[in-house]
Amino acid sequence: MSVVAVFVNVLLFLLLAPLFEGVMRKITARVQSRQGPPVVQPYYDLLKLLGKERINSAGTWAFRLAPPAAFASILAVVALVPFGSKLNALGGRVDAVTVIYLLTLGGVSVLLGALASRNTFAAIGASREMVTMVMVEPVLAMTLILGAVRGGSLGLGAAVFSTAARGYSVATAVMLVAYLLALQAFVAKQPFDIAEAEIEILEGPFIEYSGPDYGLFRYYLMMKQMFYAWLFVAVFLPFLRTGAYAGDVLAQLAGTFIVFVLIAVVGSTNPRLRIDQAVKIYAVLVLVALGAVGLAVAGI
Amino acid sequence: MDAIARIANELRARFGPDIQGVESPSPTRLFVDIDRRALRGAAQALVDLGARYMVGIGTDEIARRGRLGLIHTFAFDADHVGVALRSSAPAGDPVFESITPAIPSAGWTEREYRDLLGMTFTGHPKPKRLILADDWPDGVHPLRKDVPYNLVPPAAEDVAYRLDEAPPGTTTVPIGPFHVSLHEPEHFAVFVDGETIKGCDYRGFMTHRGIEKLCQTQVSYNEVPFVAERICGICGSVHAVCYAQAVEAAAGLRISRRSEYIRTVLLEIERLHSHLLWLGIAGHLIGFDTVFMQAWRVREKVMWLAERFTGNRKTYGMVLIGGVRRDITPEIRADLEALLTTLEKEVLVLKNAVIGDTAIHRRTKGVGFLSKEETVRWSLIGPVARARGLGLDVRKDHPYAAYDDLAFDVPVVDSGDVWGTLVVRVLEIFESIAILRQALAKMPADGPLLIEVPEALPALRHGLSMVEAPRGESVHYVITGEENRPERWRVRAPTYANLQAVPAMLLDNQFADFPIILGQIDPCFSCTDRVAVIDARSGRRRVLDRAALEGLSRRPAGGRS
Repeated sequence: MSVVAVFVNVLLFLLLAPLFEGVMRKITARVQSRQGPPVVQPYYDLLKLLGKERINSAGTWAFRLAPPAAFASILAVVALVPFGSKLNALGGRVDAVTVIYLLTLGGVSVLLGALASRNTFAAIGASREMVTMVMVEPVLAMTLILGAVRGGSLGLGAAVFSTAARGYSVATAVMLVAYLLALQAFVAKQPFDIAEAEIEILEGPFIEYSGPDYGLFRYYLMMKQMFYAWLFVAVFLPFLRTGAYAGDVLAQLAGTFIVFVLIAVVGSTNPRLRIDQAVKIYAVLVLVALGAVGLAVAGI
Repeated sequence: MDAIARIANELRARFGPDIQGVESPSPTRLFVDIDRRALRGAAQALVDLGARYMVGIGTDEIARRGRLGLIHTFAFDADHVGVALRSSAPAGDPVFESITPAIPSAGWTEREYRDLLGMTFTGHPKPKRLILADDWPDGVHPLRKDVPYNLVPPAAEDVAYRLDEAPPGTTTVPIGPFHVSLHEPEHFAVFVDGETIKGCDYRGFMTHRGIEKLCQTQVSYNEVPFVAERICGICGSVHAVCYAQAVEAAAGLRISRRSEYIRTVLLEIERLHSHLLWLGIAGHLIGFDTVFMQAWRVREKVMWLAERFTGNRKTYGMVLIGGVRRDITPEIRADLEALLTTLEKEVLVLKNAVIGDTAIHRRTKGVGFLSKEETVRWSLIGPVARARGLGLDVRKDHPYAAYDDLAFDVPVVDSGDVWGTLVVRVLEIFESIAILRQALAKMPADGPLLIEVPEALPALRHGLSMVEAPRGESVHYVITGEENRPERWRVRAPTYANLQAVPAMLLDNQFADFPIILGQIDPCFSCTDRVAVIDARSGRRRVLDRAALEGLSRRPAGGRS
């Protein structure tokens, strides 16, 4: 059963990540009084990109390596972190730190690709991406560490299911707020889509990419944003459970859908911030997240 | 003593021996002929008297008197007077003293005539090519009359514009020639230190097609308004009206009051359209696409308004020398008034959403700041100047069409930044609606749409005309010619003046603010380049007939046919 759960996990993410992206585009379009593309448009986009010729415009191996590396890292993450309320066959063998490493590896791959592109705009995008990683990823790490502190173990089960096991505490509530505020930055949507900022730096890190390589990056980004939305549901909304595996999965997917609606509405009602403005907000978020861990250590 | 006499006396007192003639064909225009020796001093004297530099006009008079002419135009906004300093130099020695060190906005004019007429300006701080392509041969000056309008010199390889030196410790970010925030081909080299802008060099005029040359050699007086309208896709009627007014002024024609009112309605519809279009683009430039889409949804109504009135959504084709081509019938008037009412409601919602949004404040307040003194020094115009505490508006300062009959406010704020520009333009939408209502109500019921225009207009008369385009003042200067076309026609779109100050506004701002700082002047590069847009798409063509096009443009939102 728990081996099956690994495959269910990976398949759900692979199949549904573009759908959630499509939902988000549709909602954005409606806020803007537009018809919007069909919700399945991201599938078409991916299929089209993946069917194109591969071009190594920078001529370096790092440029080639970056997209598959990013995609592989997010695949590994979603294989480990379980849908439902139990660990799967892989999840029991790793701990929270592994997941943080793998997530960071994805970000590092994007940086690698950007720096290997030898493009001014990619370089600016990379430097903004780096700032975002350094400043925002700690909120995710703290979220898992908070679970570890409360569960007394760095194991994945303790980290992810802490609220389910021990209920809400003040620390959880504080972390929940920090996570929600950081969510737009995790998924790189307005006001925090600074590293890609189409109108200034032309998609930044991805400017030199096209075809299947770009498709993999896009797929990576969709999976990543679904992961962050889903993780919020898994960690902070433990009441969404029915007892049955299939029921839990469906309930969590429904929760994820709602988180996406939230992301789309916030994203479409805010302009992009500048990196210097964003950094100040990130700094506050990290402090709040640290404070939440402190509260958990104190047992509050 | 009236302003014209005061200015003329002041110039006579200081440069008496060098002044060759003074004429004032109307109570608001002063033309002074002056020896080139005194040109720089006289320009400085006018600025000291409170004049605002508008633009220079270079002319080729070699065939007639062996000289190259140079005319500098100035506006005394408070006195409602336009002044032209006319000077010339022998063709064999076309050297003038540069006025740019004292009047920075003359920089482009002088570079333009260095390129196009082969003049030399001593003491110019940046004597680089402005207009001619980098591979254009030296010594061929296309605005000279002995150069045919369709000359195509052979293209050369291995030539490139040499950018200014980047300041030490900076890297160069190329914005353009193709970049999403530009919409048109232009090249800004932005020198950044980290994310902070430390300087910028500009190389534009990439689509210069020589509209002025074309109209001086190939077409007739009444064809020019339609070419002029195609200088710009947004403020086309501004150019057509401005040109027609310049010819009318030069030839001493007076059009009917009714056609002046119709021109006013035309120009205000165009302003409504442009302000909403700009608001949308400004939203897009700060990454706020919801403002973009909503502003353009409202703008669609203005396009319908224009179509109802002129038959076209844009590029109205309404203006001729001597009047306009279509009337406003009572039915059209009723439709326009009804549309204005719904438009006002929608714009009010938009205004409250935009003005009250603190997220927009964060991205626009303090961004692209320029002090009032610098704004005066750079001769900035339009909403960019009105956001910096200067109450300049041609509609008030140099009234034309029917504006002297209409009551309206000119919103002025003094925040000096992008936010101020945004507020000014949003508030002006309501003023435009008020102007349109008044104009429709007050319009005289009779009067010819088009007056009798004599077969031949008197030659070598000068006309100077200004029109307040949505982005600022447009200036046209016409010298009438003999072959039923202008001898010289000079266009200065507002971007030509405002763009020159963009490097000053960019300094020490964040790179992320580059798009909106440039965007706040609502740059129209095609106006500046004076491009003729020719649709030359080759290859696969999809032919849409009129019914299909109408169907496409009228399909209601949300309906999928």
